[in-house]
Amino acid sequence: MFYRLSGVHHTRYQSARQLWPIPADRRIVWGLLALALLGPLILSDLYLSSYALPWLVWTAAALSLTLLMGVAGQLHFGFAAVMAIGAYTSIHIVRAGWPFEIALIGAGLTTAVIGCVFGAAALRVKGLYLVMATLAMQYLVDWVIINVPAISGGAQATLQTPDVRFLFVPLESDISLYYGALLWTVIVTVFVLNIKRTSFGRALVAVRDKDYAASIIGVNSFKYKLLAFFTSSFLGGVSGAILAFCYYQAVTPEQFGFNVSIQLVAMVLVGGLGSVVGAYLGAGFVLLAPIFLTNFVAFLSNQGLLDVSTNLLSHIPLMAYGALIIGFLLFEPLGLAKIYDNIRNYFLVWPFRHSRS
Amino acid sequence: MKRFIKGLTGAVATAALATTGAVQAQEDDTITFGLLQDFTAVYTFLTNEYNQGQQDYLTLINQEGGIDGHTFEAIVRDHGNEPQRGLEAYNRAREEGAVLMDFLSTPVSRAVVPRVLEDEVVLITPLHGRGDASDGETFPYVFPMMATYWSQAAVLANYIEEHEGGLEGKRIAHVYIDSPFGREPVPILEELAERKGFELETFAYPSPGNEQSSTWSEVRRFRPDFVTIWGAGGGQPVSVQTAIRNGISPDQILSVVWMAETDARQIGEQAAEGLKRFEAVATGTDHPIIQRIQDKVIDEGLGAGDAENVGTTYYNIGVATMAVSVEAARLALEEYGAPLTGEKLRDGFHMIEDYDAEGMMPPLTFSEEDHQGGGYGRVSEWNGEEWEPVTDWFAAYQDIVWEEIEESAAGFREGN
Repeated sequence: MFYRLSGVHHTRYQSARQLWPIPADRRIVWGLLALALLGPLILSDLYLSSYALPWLVWTAAALSLTLLMGVAGQLHFGFAAVMAIGAYTSIHIVRAGWPFEIALIGAGLTTAVIGCVFGAAALRVKGLYLVMATLAMQYLVDWVIINVPAISGGAQATLQTPDVRFLFVPLESDISLYYGALLWTVIVTVFVLNIKRTSFGRALVAVRDKDYAASIIGVNSFKYKLLAFFTSSFLGGVSGAILAFCYYQAVTPEQFGFNVSIQLVAMVLVGGLGSVVGAYLGAGFVLLAPIFLTNFVAFLSNQGLLDVSTNLLSHIPLMAYGALIIGFLLFEPLGLAKIYDNIRNYFLVWPFRHSRS
Repeated sequence: MKRFIKGLTGAVATAALATTGAVQAQEDDTITFGLLQDFTAVYTFLTNEYNQGQQDYLTLINQEGGIDGHTFEAIVRDHGNEPQRGLEAYNRAREEGAVLMDFLSTPVSRAVVPRVLEDEVVLITPLHGRGDASDGETFPYVFPMMATYWSQAAVLANYIEEHEGGLEGKRIAHVYIDSPFGREPVPILEELAERKGFELETFAYPSPGNEQSSTWSEVRRFRPDFVTIWGAGGGQPVSVQTAIRNGISPDQILSVVWMAETDARQIGEQAAEGLKRFEAVATGTDHPIIQRIQDKVIDEGLGAGDAENVGTTYYNIGVATMAVSVEAARLALEEYGAPLTGEKLRDGFHMIEDYDAEGMMPPLTFSEEDHQGGGYGRVSEWNGEEWEPVTDWFAAYQDIVWEEIEESAAGFREGN
């Protein structure tokens, strides 16, 4: 009824293997893309610059991490450090007089190389031990940034991003920053969606599921683990640069602290490991739910419906947020993406009850 | 999917309603301040008392009839020390008409500085934020308002020079939390070491500072005559306790402004005797403003929090920040009339001359160049029961401090 599956027959491999074989899905995607493109028209400045923009950038970061954690199965608890390397590299390249486009690529490559060095630990250790190795990366990178003034920028440890142009468009107004972030997020989205249906993506999945089984069937797990770290760090580094240039417009060490790494992991887990929709939902939830809850509780208190101390008032959103995370994960352990999937499956065959997957 | 979208639109609509409601509730003769602070993450050791002091002072002014009929309203929100939440809260408060912001968080203030300069909204950064914002010409809308960490280090060094037998030949250890904040006073101390001929050694302990033994055993080996400790919150009592365990007496220790009654009690009221700290605002209830707050706000049941907090170190600092801001608003309204904008408020700050909040603070004077207000402070000592001032208000070595401010501000103009 809603998805109108009847009459959809794929007679060629090409059409059966496209990203969204069901026309209704395609329409939803185009609709969402159109909404995103019209963002500056339908959203007020506040919602554009404080909600939509950070959501997009963090989604790109969560997608980069979900490629590594969800698709390739390599846990990474220091992804904020990866983004920090990208942000600092890009800003230093731009300040050295190179164009922004080069800086983005440079940021990606530098991050990819450094990410690979730490990712090399993954060749020896797995699971919780890899978590420790990546945590070490987080603290090491933090330490280096704070203790080398040439990187962090002197006593105040703040570097402002210079005015830059991206493909001849100056990144100054809120709208151009929004479109810059949107472009990058769309690129990462399409990239990750496509990776999942290439031989590279299938090799990553094989390594994730059992690395020695993968080796037995001829997948070089050494190579693919490193490639996973390389690709994901590249994307993460560029996302860090985009975060710095399009959102914060300044770089300080605190923006990439350990808590940010945990937030990123939370985005990926709450959203659903390895899912692209999940990265969007997870980033939106982790980033925006505390803000919505804080404003909602403040609204209740302004209306006189909630008469408690300021201190408790600021902690209620945290409690609600925690309860929501637990609630969602209890309701559906596979994350928000799975909830979406369940709803979609229900409507795929509606008004009938049983769907295949 | 549809259900999901429906839910989402519902949520967005509620939020939108919430905002419009707030905007409509605001009347024209209300002056709105955004007190968007960290109630839940890093600065929790002071936010509660500090914010309570701010709110109570604004309530006091409203109780006394406001300024020419203008009353004050505070938007109080938590940003959890996260820059992106701070930016959201800032943008929202700005839409709701706030003309002054206080984030009480260095990361958030830093993230917002470029925007307030563009949006022409006053940002006060008392005892946090960028010290170089004291340079009013580079940061026209940012007011550190009280002594920067650089000035605090200068005041503490000058105290040793004047009251503890001079600096020459002394061995001074600077023990700090390993962060930009802890490292901030080091250039001032280094410069002073060179000028005054004392030996300076710096020791960092890892954040958050719950465990500092290894650092302090190194400090003991250095055999310092005096120690300056630069930390905040839970790390502070740990510093003093570990120092005592390493044979350093509290009266050799001079602390940055973040040292309150609770810290002294945690060390042990008797054990902490002799401990000295920098003080930017007088502590205690024995001040006309605090007395009036007690009478007209707390006794009327209008207080923003626990009545026991009134008169504590951080409560009084909060009161003082709002006293200065309200004074600026008063001067601005007198000069330019309503409605109050960020630009007028900034000029109001520039008009403040020798304002001391009825004796609670050192006399502050701001100008277009100086947004620090002179860098005054005093040293107070824990006498076993309370913090007792041992000097008068004074400022020290402002030439060195301003060299640092100007160098750093020049860096900001170049993009640092």
